[in-house]
Amino acid sequence: MTQTVQLMATCLIDSLFPEVGEAVIDVLRQAGLQVHFPRAQTCCGQPAFNAGFGPQARAMATRTIDVFSESSDPVIVPSGSCAAMLRHGYLELFRDSPAQLARAQGLADRTYELSEYLVDIGGGLPSNSLSVGRAVYHPSCHLMRGLGVDRQPMALLGASVGRLSEECCGFGGVFSVEQPELSTEMLARKLAEIFSSGADIVVAGDVSCLMHIEGGLRKVGSAVRCAHLAQVLAGRPAGLR
Amino acid sequence: MTVEFRRRVRRAVQDSSLQSALDRNADRRVLGAREAYASLPDLAVARREARAVRRETLDDLDMLLQTFIHNLESNRIKVLRAADANEAVGHVVAIARSEGAEMVAKSKSMVSEEIDLNRALDEAGIRSVETDLGEFIVQIRRERPAHIITPAVHLRREDVAETFHEHFDMEYTTDVQAMTAVARRILRRVFHSAQVGVSGVNFGVAETGTLCLVTNEGNGRMVTTLPPVHVALMGIERLIPSLEDLAPMLALLPRAATGQKITSYVSLLQRPRQPHDPDGPRARYVILVDDGRSQLRASDLADSLLCIRCGACLNICPVYREAGGHAYGSVYPGPIGSVVSPGLFGLKAYGHLAKASTLCGACKDACPVDIDLPSLLLRVRARFSPGLPPTSWMRMGIRLFAWAMADPIRYRISQRLARLGVSLLPRRLGWVRWLPPPLSAWTGARDFPPFARRMLRDRDLEFGPIAPTAPPRRGVESATENPLATASVPADPVLRFEQELEVLGGTFIRCATAQLPEAVADVFRLHKISKAIAWRDPAEVMNVVRRRLEQDGIELVDGRIDGGEQRNADLEILDGIEAGLTGAQAGLADTGTVILPSGEGKPMAASLLPWVHICLLSASRLFPDLKAWLTGEGREQIDGASSIVLISGPSRTADIEMTLTRGVHGPGEVIVVCYD
Repeated sequence: MTQTVQLMATCLIDSLFPEVGEAVIDVLRQAGLQVHFPRAQTCCGQPAFNAGFGPQARAMATRTIDVFSESSDPVIVPSGSCAAMLRHGYLELFRDSPAQLARAQGLADRTYELSEYLVDIGGGLPSNSLSVGRAVYHPSCHLMRGLGVDRQPMALLGASVGRLSEECCGFGGVFSVEQPELSTEMLARKLAEIFSSGADIVVAGDVSCLMHIEGGLRKVGSAVRCAHLAQVLAGRPAGLR
Repeated sequence: MTVEFRRRVRRAVQDSSLQSALDRNADRRVLGAREAYASLPDLAVARREARAVRRETLDDLDMLLQTFIHNLESNRIKVLRAADANEAVGHVVAIARSEGAEMVAKSKSMVSEEIDLNRALDEAGIRSVETDLGEFIVQIRRERPAHIITPAVHLRREDVAETFHEHFDMEYTTDVQAMTAVARRILRRVFHSAQVGVSGVNFGVAETGTLCLVTNEGNGRMVTTLPPVHVALMGIERLIPSLEDLAPMLALLPRAATGQKITSYVSLLQRPRQPHDPDGPRARYVILVDDGRSQLRASDLADSLLCIRCGACLNICPVYREAGGHAYGSVYPGPIGSVVSPGLFGLKAYGHLAKASTLCGACKDACPVDIDLPSLLLRVRARFSPGLPPTSWMRMGIRLFAWAMADPIRYRISQRLARLGVSLLPRRLGWVRWLPPPLSAWTGARDFPPFARRMLRDRDLEFGPIAPTAPPRRGVESATENPLATASVPADPVLRFEQELEVLGGTFIRCATAQLPEAVADVFRLHKISKAIAWRDPAEVMNVVRRRLEQDGIELVDGRIDGGEQRNADLEILDGIEAGLTGAQAGLADTGTVILPSGEGKPMAASLLPWVHICLLSASRLFPDLKAWLTGEGREQIDGASSIVLISGPSRTADIEMTLTRGVHGPGEVIVVCYD
């Protein structure tokens, strides 16, 4: 029987990088999965949660729980930080309301980041090679440390893909505009590392970090581009847009 | 507050010498900790154990405090409690005044920084001298520590050289050993004349009333041994339930803090000097400082009290690495500081620090007691943000965002409006080069992507499964073995001890018991030692060695330090002696440690004041590790002595530019003669 999965596309991919979303759907289909994309989804609430606005975050979280609880199919999130939000953040947000906490836990238990699902649960995998150039993998913080997902994307990418350090790129959501000095310094460190790696493409499982890194690459006039893991797996051209 | 913080950050990131110092600190410390962790059989288990000890402490804190106080008092240690910083400094000033003290010698204590003790003593007309090398440098520069473990982390050796040249009568030199030697000389006089020694406490053992201090330079031993009165400052949460709990804590604290398996000195202080002791303070005080901790413990930030102040989260933090400690404007900087500063000193003054994090989680991973710092930072933010003015752009922005995300129709309309707005802005290769304030903070260093013409939800999508186009699973699971854990470890405890001691820069000599007197006489001859502070141990071995040395005309001094008028004269004499000869109660093979109790005929000074420390250790007294000793005879030994010190190699520091330097305050040479 065909497994159906629910796709939480994330608001960033939906509204800024739909091509990444298409690649995600391709990859899931190629893995033999039926994809369901609930149109009522918006944002998981992470920006409000990280900025310290509990009530607003809870409203968005409640909505997300409602939308993805209409079916009990697994929820696939092509983003480490949004998946971590569903898995850990919601439990923190609702720690004082038992009824909501139970629903949040129910969702958390069947939420997976894309590569995590493909490697640990999903079975069949696509195996397209990169369309161009040399690639390095950036282990994004919420994916690697927040979810403990690291070997899965590395396994999907294969041994030919290099790896950047585990230091944060300096995005941090609202941090990037509230603390631009720090954010910029951290980004500069990451860019220097990318340049010295000689890579043409930076791959990661978090489109937010990639938006930050590619924004920095473009600002300094570099031709290096970023690609979401799904774009690489689907054999699509690099570049978020 | 945020404005002030950002101003300091801007200054920090433009200061290239600060940046290179911070880079060096981060690289060295992170690697050091990783290498030191590799020598543990299982880091995950060690962390779980250590966390469980701290968890138990926090859960039972009230009861443990009662037990601790009871045991301290039955050990004749005086206990004072301080609800806040004012009371705490009041106690210290009162003790110093009652002793008629003109000078107080301090070893490193973050609580003393927290309560601003130096200023209070200064206002009371009492000179307070920091004796930790890094703190000493920072104090003469009239600065505050920039790191909770390495106070002078922000300075280059040239800065320190300049400071030393200006303040002391010395030629300008960037030779770290030379600067350290000057500090040693100056601070010896401070140890002599200070009537009160003030220290912190790393762990207070509730069930025995033991104070555990972990130090490297030896100044901690000085201030707790030489002045007639010792005052220990400790936060009320700094307890552990039982003596055996020291093993997991001491396995992790030095590794996390400085990449050491164990520090040069671990002092276990049990009571003040007893009549038969040749040295030690006649009175010890413990001041238990609350200063916001009880209230913090009752809050949802309570887990921050699990902290053992190792500084690992500062070392790994990418924000600390850019900003440095001073930018935080608190005695507790870095990730843990961004939680405890608002938690202890108020949200209004320090809440903004929690915003200085990307929540990358490196701190959580580095923490030896697994404190979930990102979650705690989020909790601080959740308290801080509601206090922002309604007109702040962050508040308005999040409210607008939440409104737009409340249903799919608003969401889609908002996306279109945003796309329209952004489409009018200047671009390059499709991405937006400039956004209006406050978003200009983004485009200062990053282009911004244009919003999609058609959102994902509006595209024609196929959702059905398709056959995989290639065979599944191409990747291989990567091996996770630890490449650092490769050094071979000898099974024989004596060989192990030798290897560990030599790594620490100590000297190891092994001989048959019958040859011991000759071997020791050789050591004295080789080092041209004519006089030594020596133990009088009832054990026959020591008597034979003493007789042999006296045959060679070597003068052996008992090393008694008397109180009152006599004290200075005694110290003056002892300070001129180049060697100390001691026995050892026991040794620890896995860290190259010798364990020395105080007691009749056993001056602490013998292993502390001279440059060379010669220690006689019976091979039969070797234990595999601290845990084995603690669960074996440790308890009895600690209970029987006024104090015990665990010595692992020579006195050392890395306070100036992370350059390892030997012989800061204690011996620069440690020679262990092991006999069997």
